[in-house]
Amino acid sequence: MTNAVPSAAIEIRDLTKDFSLNLRGIKLRAVENLTLTVPEGQVFGLLGPNGSGKSTTIKIILGLLDPTAGECKVFGVPSRRVDSRLNVGYLPEAPYFYRYLSGMELVKFYARICGVTGKRLDARVAEVIDWVGLSGAAKRRVGTYSKGMLQRIGLAQALVHDPRLIILDEPTAGVDPVGAAEISELILKLKTQGKTVLITSHLLAQIEDICDRVAILDRGRLILEGNVTELVGQRDRQALIVDPLPLEQLEELKEWLATRGHTLNAVEQPRARLDQLFLSKVSRSPKGGKE
Amino acid sequence: MSPMANTVPFSLNRLVIVAGNTFLEAVRQKLFNFLLLLAIALVASAQFFREFNFGSSELKFISDFGFGAMVFFGSTLTIAATAQLFFSEIENRTALTILAKPIWRTEFIFGKFLGVFAVVGVFCALMTLLLAGLLYHRESGLMTMHPEAFEHGRIIHYADLVVMGMLQWLKFGVLAAITLLIASFSNTNLYTVVMSFFMLVICHLQYLARDAYAQVASVPLRLLVQVLGYVFPNFQVFNLADQIGVGSGLDASVALHVVVYALIYIGVIGGLAVYSFSSREI
Repeated sequence: MTNAVPSAAIEIRDLTKDFSLNLRGIKLRAVENLTLTVPEGQVFGLLGPNGSGKSTTIKIILGLLDPTAGECKVFGVPSRRVDSRLNVGYLPEAPYFYRYLSGMELVKFYARICGVTGKRLDARVAEVIDWVGLSGAAKRRVGTYSKGMLQRIGLAQALVHDPRLIILDEPTAGVDPVGAAEISELILKLKTQGKTVLITSHLLAQIEDICDRVAILDRGRLILEGNVTELVGQRDRQALIVDPLPLEQLEELKEWLATRGHTLNAVEQPRARLDQLFLSKVSRSPKGGKE
Repeated sequence: MSPMANTVPFSLNRLVIVAGNTFLEAVRQKLFNFLLLLAIALVASAQFFREFNFGSSELKFISDFGFGAMVFFGSTLTIAATAQLFFSEIENRTALTILAKPIWRTEFIFGKFLGVFAVVGVFCALMTLLLAGLLYHRESGLMTMHPEAFEHGRIIHYADLVVMGMLQWLKFGVLAAITLLIASFSNTNLYTVVMSFFMLVICHLQYLARDAYAQVASVPLRLLVQVLGYVFPNFQVFNLADQIGVGSGLDASVALHVVVYALIYIGVIGGLAVYSFSSREI
C-alpha cells in the first residue's frame, strides 16, 4: 500500500516581494524567500504579527500583486494568470461591499462575474446565502448589515462559484465571539466538503481549533510551519483528568508513580475556556441575521 | 487536466456586468442627480432669455445656451463620475474582491468606462430631449406670431439636434477615457479630477496652438506641435453647433468623420489605461 501524497492547492517557491517606498529606489521587503505548500483539502492557518507579510502573500496568490522574485502556483497554474483564480474564493480583511446592493444582488453580481448563469444562478445564490445563514436578510441593502453579517455575505460571495480553494483574510476581525464561532463552524463545514481553506487570523485559539497546519511569518520570513497538533502538543507529557482526589489518595498516587520512575509534575483544576463559557451563556442570532 | 486548458477568454458579458454595476452605482449617487437637475433647470431657463428678431436669433440663443449647458455640466459629470467610480473601487477595496475573481483587468477598466459612458449617455439624451422640446415649443409659438418668417416651414433641424447630442456624448466618452487613464496611475481622486480638467482645457484650446505654430518657420517646432496635436484630441471638432439648429444643416460625412475620430481616441486612450492599470498594485 502506498501513502498518497495530497496534491498542493498552493505552491510558493522562493517568493520575495519588495515595495518601492519612493523615487530614490528605497524598498521595503514585505516577503523574503518564502517557500510554502498548502495541501489540498486542509485548513491552513497563515499567522504572524501585523506587517509580517500575510496579506502581501495572499495578494500574490490572488494575482493582485506580482512577485519580485520566485513563483506562486494555484492548483499548478501560475498566480499571475487569470485562470489561476477559477477555483479560488476570497474574503478580504474588513470587507466593504457595494452598499447600494442587497445581499442577494451582491452575491448574484459576483456569481455572474464568475460565470454562474442561467437557472443555476438563482438556485446557487439562494443556496449559498442560506448556507451562511442570511436568508432572512438577503433582500436588505448591504449598507445596513452588521460586521458579522458583512463577513457572512462576504463568505457567500467567495463560495458562490463553488471554488476548491477559499482564502479568508482575517474573517473574524471586528466580529463578536458568537459571530466568530459561527464563522469557525462554517470553515469546518467547508473542510468536510473537501475544500482547501487558507486563513489568516489573530485569534490564535480559533486557528488552533480549526486548522490542520499553520505557518508563522515574521518580517516577511517563514519562521515555523507544521501540523498544529505536532507543534503545540507536548509529546513528553500526559494529562490525566480524574474526579477530585482526597489528599491521602493523591499522596498514594505520587508514591505509586515514583516506584515506577515517574513524577507527578502538576495537580491543577481544569478550566473551561472563556470563549466556550461565553458562547454557552449568550444566545446566538436566529438564522437570517438580526432583522 | 493540463493547467493550460483552463484559459479564461476575454468576455464581453463580464465587461457588461461591471458596466451595469457601475451605472447603478452612479445613478444612485446624489452628485449625478444634482448635476442632472441643475442642467435641466439651466436649459429650461433658456426660454426666459428672449430677443425678438422674427424668431431666428431667439431660437439660436436657446440652442447655443442649451448646448453650452450640456457641455459644461456634461464635462463636470464625466470627470467627477469617472474619477469617483474608479476610486470608490480602490479606496473601498471592492476592487480587491472583484479582481480576485477570474476577470481580466481589461474587462474591469472597459466595464468602468462603459458604465460611465452609459450614465453620460442618459444625461445627453435627457438634455437633448429637453432642448428639442423647448425649441419646438418656442418655434411653434413664433410661427403663430410671425408666420412670414417661417414661410418655408420650420427652421430648426431636429434630427441634426439629436446628432449633435450624440456627438457631445462621444466627446464625453473621449473625456471619460482620458480621466480613466489618469486615474489608472494616480493615487488620489483629487489629482485625477484636477488633471482631467486641465486636459479638458488643453483639448478645447489645442487648435489655437496648432494654428499659431502652423506659421512657424522652425520645422522641428512645427512637427512637435503637430505631434502634440495628435496626442491631445481636438474637442473643437465636436462643436458643429453652427451647422445645425437654425443653420444650414449638418453634413453627414463630417459627422461620420467625427464619430470615427472619437472612437479611435476612445480605443487608444482606453488601451493605454488598461496597460497602465495592468501593472498597478492593488
